[in-house]
Amino acid sequence: MEAVRPDGGERGTAAPRAEERPAPEARVHFRVTRFIMEAGVKLGMQSIPIATACTIYHKFFCEINLDAYDLYLVAMSSIYLAGKVEEQHLRTRDIINVSHRYFNPGSEPLELDSRFWELRDSIVQCELLMLRVLRFQVSFQHPHKYLLHYLISLKNWLNRYSWQRTPISVTAWALLRDSYHGGLCLRFQAQHLAVAVLYLALQVYGVEVPAEGEAEKPWWQVFSDDLTKPIIDNIVSDLIQIYTMDTEIP
Amino acid sequence: MDRDLLRQSLGCHGPALLSLLRSEQQDNPHFRSLLGTAAEPARGAAPPQGAGRKEKRVDNIEIQKFISKKADLLFALSWKSDAPTSSEVHDDNDNHYAVMPPLEQFMEIPGLDRRELFFRDIERGDIVIGRISSIREFGFFMVLICLGSGIMRDISHLEITALCPLRDVPSHSNHGDPLSYYQTGDIIRAGIKDIDRYHEKLAVSLYSSSLPPHLSGIKLGVMTSEELPLYYRRSVELNSNSLESYENIMQSSLGFVNPGVVEFLLEKLGIDESHPPSLMRGLQSKNFSEDDFALALRKKQSASWALKCVKIGVDYFKVGRHVDAMNEYNKALEIDKQNVEALVARGALYATKGSLNKAIEDFELALENCPTHRNARKYLCQTLVERGGQLEEEEKFLNAESYYKKALALDETFKDAEDALQKLHKYMQVILYFLFEI
Repeated sequence: MEAVRPDGGERGTAAPRAEERPAPEARVHFRVTRFIMEAGVKLGMQSIPIATACTIYHKFFCEINLDAYDLYLVAMSSIYLAGKVEEQHLRTRDIINVSHRYFNPGSEPLELDSRFWELRDSIVQCELLMLRVLRFQVSFQHPHKYLLHYLISLKNWLNRYSWQRTPISVTAWALLRDSYHGGLCLRFQAQHLAVAVLYLALQVYGVEVPAEGEAEKPWWQVFSDDLTKPIIDNIVSDLIQIYTMDTEIP
Repeated sequence: MDRDLLRQSLGCHGPALLSLLRSEQQDNPHFRSLLGTAAEPARGAAPPQGAGRKEKRVDNIEIQKFISKKADLLFALSWKSDAPTSSEVHDDNDNHYAVMPPLEQFMEIPGLDRRELFFRDIERGDIVIGRISSIREFGFFMVLICLGSGIMRDISHLEITALCPLRDVPSHSNHGDPLSYYQTGDIIRAGIKDIDRYHEKLAVSLYSSSLPPHLSGIKLGVMTSEELPLYYRRSVELNSNSLESYENIMQSSLGFVNPGVVEFLLEKLGIDESHPPSLMRGLQSKNFSEDDFALALRKKQSASWALKCVKIGVDYFKVGRHVDAMNEYNKALEIDKQNVEALVARGALYATKGSLNKAIEDFELALENCPTHRNARKYLCQTLVERGGQLEEEEKFLNAESYYKKALALDETFKDAEDALQKLHKYMQVILYFLFEI
């Protein structure tokens, strides 16, 4: 088993990050998780199965060296496994078709020949390998459910007109989905991620929670007792960092 | 671009954001006009308290850079949710999701602020629930307990009263005072008819005409305490046990473990999973081609695989291996149920073997899927005529006639069908002649 990453594997750590540019490994993972997310959309996957696929992928490479296996095969198997775990079953045939097209744009679909069957076998075998590496713990608590409830609570407190004209829900959901390009899901608690993403969405549009200054407890503290402002800042900072990789990588 | 939204954001983050926006979005035509006028400070926006402002400044630079980079997405008019804009009635169960006590209760916001915000946010047509406090000749007063639709607020301790004038009380009998039906202490469900926000006065009505059309089915008037909305009951529980946390209440709620909770709430909030939102440039799903999606690829692939089987089948057919040919055609149709080539080939095989009805079925299905398929049409006509001939021999003349007519309907130039039909008509005339002569 690989050693824990130097940037802190402990949950909820408030220590500030030292490095400015993301590590080269992070950029590789960014590219592959981008593939997972794009393939996920083309396969009609919901947000949570896609999140599971990315989490499985990230967790796998916490245990295994980057050079040990073909990254994209691991990604495809993550998708396949996630579909099973989250009850949105996907056929290997569709995964292969979408992936093949991703790597060979405009190509004809694969023929039903030995190469196809070999690809399929690879996915299935990789799936078993991943299950064993992850000790069959492939079910996760995702921030999504929490975020949705927080949004409903906030919606009732905000002015109706203000809520309608400000796309807080959509932005928060987008931020949460995009966060899976990095390993935030492994480093922070689900509730904390949900709050942080909501916090950033409110900041973006300059929305103030009514009577925030007069409250005994800030809204984000209400949602999660053990959350602190430094943790929120940490998550927001990491999340924005992830977006910078989008523009750097061709 | 949404001007108001942009102004709101600039009002919060200040001139630093404006200059960042100007540099990041300089190539974007939508912003050029906006950023000129948006330089005015936001009107009516009161600056927050000193301490809060200072705290915001620390994070701000990173966030501001982020906003400026993604501004073309964040402030686009298309970046909105399709949330249902009409207000909904509050549930009295938590089957779908965890119904929570109001947020302000957890935040412990002072009553004065809650009251102020209530009168700012209440709208005509909202359903309110309260207890009758006194009955006069001109109507009755009620103290509000909670809201029945729209927003969920904690108002039970705010002592907000509303007046229900006599004219807004429907009568329950043909004579007598409509008000005599009511007693102090009754729990009433009513619709907000009039609001004086400045003087904090409310007028309600018990007529469903005071409610918006989609809520007009809700029964107004006396109700029982069992019918009180769940959010209120939870709010009361929280009051008696104020140390209970949001998280605990949420996790112990039945709705939280509902497998369909995510789907339900997504719809309630207007977030569309079929075109999922993203702030990554490369993940804008509107840029994805439909041809790259799984379904389209599968269809194309199935058609291609099926065609291969058909080709093999046709080769078998040509050397007389009919059983093997049939197997290939069936295989093809298993892969691609409506494959036109497979249907035509199988139909031809059926016709050769004499199973004319099955052949006709296959040809008709093929023609349905591809009306321009020449062979399908040709073979279908030929087989229809052949079948007609069989029926003639069995003396089922009317039946035969319909087959010939059908063939002609498909191809009016088909000579064999024309000849067969004429021959049949002549024969039928002869018979009729004899029948009438006898």
